[in-house]
Amino acid sequence: MTNVTGWLKQTGIRAAKPLRVAVALGTCSGLLLILQAWVLAGIVNTVVFGHRGMTAVSPMLMSLLAVFAARSAIAWASERMAFHAAANIKLDVRRQLLEHLFALGPVRMVAEHAGELATTLTDGVEALEAYYARFLPQMALAALVPLSILAVVTPLDWVSGLVLVATGPLIPLAMIFIGRNAEALNQRQWRRLARLSAHFLDVLQGLTTLKLFNASRREAAVVAKLSDDYRKSTMAVLRIAFLSSLALEFLATVSIALIAVLIGFRMMWRDLGFRAGLLVLLLAPEFYLPLRTLGTHYHARMNAIGAGERIVQLLKTEAPPQPQAALALPASNRIGIQLQNVRYAYDSGHLVLDGVSIEIAAAEHIALVGPSGAGKTTVVNLLLGFAQPDSGQILVNGYPLDAVDRRQWLKHVTWVPQNPRIFHGTVYDNITLGRPGSDREAVRAAAHLALADEFIESLPFGYDTVVGEGGRGLSGGQVRRLALARAFFKDAPVVILDEPSASLDLESEAKLTAGLDRLTRGRTTVVIAHRLNTVMNADRIIVLDHGQVVESGTHRELLGQTGLYHRLVGQYAGAG
Amino acid sequence: MSTFRRLIGLFLPYWRWIAFGILVSLVVVIANMALLGTAGWFLAAMAVAGAAGGTMNYLLPAAAIRAFAILRTGGRYLERLVTHEATLRCLSGLRVWFYERIEPLAPAGLEAYQGGDLLSRIGADIDALDNLYLRTLVPVTVAVLSTLMAFIFLSQYSLQVAVADLGFLALAGAALPLVARRLGSGPGARMVETSSQLRLAVVDAIQGMGELTVSGADRAQQKEAERLSHRLQKDQDRMSSITGSVSALSGLMVNLAVWSAALLGTVLVRHQHIAAVDLPMLVLVVMGSFESVAQLPQACQYLGHTLAAARRIFAVVDAPACITDPAQASPQPRDTRLELRGVGLRYSPSGPWVLTDIDLALAPGRRVAILGPSGAGKSSLISLLARFREYERGDIRLGGYPLRAYQAEDLRAMISVVPQHPHLFNTTVRANLLLAAPDADQGRIEAAARSARIHADIDALPEGYDSYVGEAGLKFSRGQIRRLAIARALLRDAPILILDEPTEGLDSATEREVMDSLMAASDNRTLLFITHRLAGLERMDEIVVMDRGRIIERGRHAELLNGNTRYRQMHAVLVFPPEPAAVH
Repeated sequence: MTNVTGWLKQTGIRAAKPLRVAVALGTCSGLLLILQAWVLAGIVNTVVFGHRGMTAVSPMLMSLLAVFAARSAIAWASERMAFHAAANIKLDVRRQLLEHLFALGPVRMVAEHAGELATTLTDGVEALEAYYARFLPQMALAALVPLSILAVVTPLDWVSGLVLVATGPLIPLAMIFIGRNAEALNQRQWRRLARLSAHFLDVLQGLTTLKLFNASRREAAVVAKLSDDYRKSTMAVLRIAFLSSLALEFLATVSIALIAVLIGFRMMWRDLGFRAGLLVLLLAPEFYLPLRTLGTHYHARMNAIGAGERIVQLLKTEAPPQPQAALALPASNRIGIQLQNVRYAYDSGHLVLDGVSIEIAAAEHIALVGPSGAGKTTVVNLLLGFAQPDSGQILVNGYPLDAVDRRQWLKHVTWVPQNPRIFHGTVYDNITLGRPGSDREAVRAAAHLALADEFIESLPFGYDTVVGEGGRGLSGGQVRRLALARAFFKDAPVVILDEPSASLDLESEAKLTAGLDRLTRGRTTVVIAHRLNTVMNADRIIVLDHGQVVESGTHRELLGQTGLYHRLVGQYAGAG
Repeated sequence: MSTFRRLIGLFLPYWRWIAFGILVSLVVVIANMALLGTAGWFLAAMAVAGAAGGTMNYLLPAAAIRAFAILRTGGRYLERLVTHEATLRCLSGLRVWFYERIEPLAPAGLEAYQGGDLLSRIGADIDALDNLYLRTLVPVTVAVLSTLMAFIFLSQYSLQVAVADLGFLALAGAALPLVARRLGSGPGARMVETSSQLRLAVVDAIQGMGELTVSGADRAQQKEAERLSHRLQKDQDRMSSITGSVSALSGLMVNLAVWSAALLGTVLVRHQHIAAVDLPMLVLVVMGSFESVAQLPQACQYLGHTLAAARRIFAVVDAPACITDPAQASPQPRDTRLELRGVGLRYSPSGPWVLTDIDLALAPGRRVAILGPSGAGKSSLISLLARFREYERGDIRLGGYPLRAYQAEDLRAMISVVPQHPHLFNTTVRANLLLAAPDADQGRIEAAARSARIHADIDALPEGYDSYVGEAGLKFSRGQIRRLAIARALLRDAPILILDEPTEGLDSATEREVMDSLMAASDNRTLLFITHRLAGLERMDEIVVMDRGRIIERGRHAELLNGNTRYRQMHAVLVFPPEPAAVH
């Protein structure tokens, strides 16, 4: 909590100047307001007691117009100032978050939290606006404007000044008191409402289940009863909760009434002139206004703290160090890879790879198999440079991978994960990922090789159809073929695949198999395999278990042994 | 406009509360004007009396000032109570209204909203509807009425002052909000669009970071997100410029109204059309008359949001129901034999066929498995049998009568279904189970739980069967949810049991256990078992393999495995014994 408020403060320093200008403008506006009230009181005084007409008041009326114009201009300028202060902070924070996100890298991105993270980067950052643009300036104004008014009122009428001094500080105090209590009450109330909303959502989500059990009709009565109970309990709480704001309202309104009556008597006793009296009456509500406005902006602070907590949490997550390697791999379309005694452990200390050595010749097809948690995915992550081995090394055509520039190495690699991502954009954008502005013929050719051209051309706008949000509207088979087209388009000498475990319909499956065969031909291929067919066609199968290579060889060789692989596929191989 | 009228119609039953709320709000606004006016007059009168060296009857006005102050504060309290009471009553009514509308449409009519956060958006939309009362109806009505009253009051003294005030009120309360809305609608829509694009770009970056990195597109994606962030700022900048100008202008309107009252008042006093002591009163009443219109720009905005929410809600409830119950009572089925002949289904009259030529015979006690990849039409078949959808071709008969002859609820009483995504309600384990059989005793509940291999898990909970499920209580694992759902289906003594991928998400040991219990439980029941997993199929009387809405193979396990079949092909996968997932 404290480090969040600290962060908010520190972040605000970047916009200290425009914020100070906004406060200065607000104060100016407050001073002009006093002037305006003084002139207005003067006009009324002249007419009522000076018994004079237009000629006497018209200079005052004209000067009032000038004050109005100035105040409008100032109001506009201060709004814009505050906006720019907050907008620059939001841009900065969002840029910082984005940079951090990419610095964290793919291994640390937990896909399930994508929605929550995206909310932090969008709505979370937006929640800072009201804090910087409204709450902070209002904080300063809530002190400056009432003090200025007090400074004018007290010399004119010390009695009213006394009333203001006595009640003014009570308002922020009452607000803090109410704030604390109301916050607790509010939160309790909020939880209740959330629970009611959650119940309704629960019923909507479970409607199929209710209906299957013929229970859906009787649930309408439950919805009604719960809502009604909620209303009763809420009103019981609100009756008390509103009492505190009643006290606040009472304080402000009744002191104004008190001031009016007191001024009236002092005028009758000729203790006070009419102009001064009217001025005090005009200023009294303005004395309380900034204090009350502060209260309404208070929830902006709560929102900002809530959002700030999530932002600080994300920024505190440490990014792994980026190896600074500049070696460029000599151009070659034949790439061999060696893993030499590679060890890798998670941050938690859990050992995932325990001395793994694999030699992959150029254009060789390797199938990685093993139970879940055996370390297959980690091998792929290391090959892709998403993680670095704790010890041991990976050689690419004899060059140590950790000395090679990662971007340059990845130009040699195509990766098709188990659930390929379809990005928001056109089909063309998705195929040419990373190389915008590429030749359309090449894109078409890649789609053709992936057997994806037929379905792409049947889309409403062909290659210019916008797909995205995870490929909504495309079938699982189409998503995979699109990813395959992406791989063909990249045309890299190394192919890394994570074979899907769930099956597709017959036609998609046949097309996908044919496309994959074409893609891997003549290329160094590492596939995390789930299908018998795939392992049977591999040049070599590497069986991983508990972070170690336990077996390695062709399908035939491994079947001859009585290891994990034999136990696994023996039954099916026997049937074939 | 018809959306607005229809929405108003939903609020009509609560018109008494609504009117009461508006009345109290009006009193609060009027009390403020009266307080200011009286104070102004009192000051002037007292000063005049003082100047003349005399005195005046100050008791009545001084008392009036105090009374108005108290009326305002007390009224505000009452206003809050009444408007909240009215809001909560409306909210409760709207929920029940929506539920009663949506219930006959479910689940087919809600299918488009399943998954993701669409369903919760519906929930939020319903919550947004009661903004109509609190944020639009009350402020607009109060503004109109209080403006009218201020006009009448001022016109007693001077028609000119009243007309000038009315003019500035109309500018501040109607013209400016409308102009703001007009000017703001473009940037407003762009803001929504840009921020949703930004969100998409961030989600793409998070979920596709690996592929972006390998493709060398990571920096481009980061740049794209930053570009959108800048564009959002630009859109907001335009919006802030508009709202800033409007709020500065509406402040100016108040000032100009006061200014013209002072100007006109000066002339009127000079010509003795009004008494001098009335001038400060008129000026202050004009000032006070702007309190109620200050909320109108916001009301205008809320109205837009509320109507958009209402349009979405009406679109949901206006969907036609997929199934209509027959007028006659259900026939008495001869037995529990279920037969499908040449059944075809599609979701819309011109859409593609989801199911084609499905033939299936489920004699009492028979166990049939339906196997196929996702998209094969397995779950659509269940929705036909549960009477959630209408079949277009062929014939389905239960106990000798077509499915269409039965009342849907009577039909569902004979069929117990464990859906693919069983829902556990946010209440106790017991209440969740009792849904299937409201009058079952503890013995029956436990028996069903034992059969589904979940009794031991429940028993181990601190509060046993009275433990809460979900948000308010503990989280069950996916496997436990499946088994609870199976227990719930077993508790209902229906002759036909349909299970949609019941072992999905279970480890193989539990899978085997659940299969054992299912076999035992279906001893005297018909079992339709839908799956894409292969465990337990050797125990089925028939295995039906589906692909894209058609049956491509059928037979027993051994028959299908001996031959060049899709079934055999599906078995050619590597299945390792699962291990507990590693912790990152």
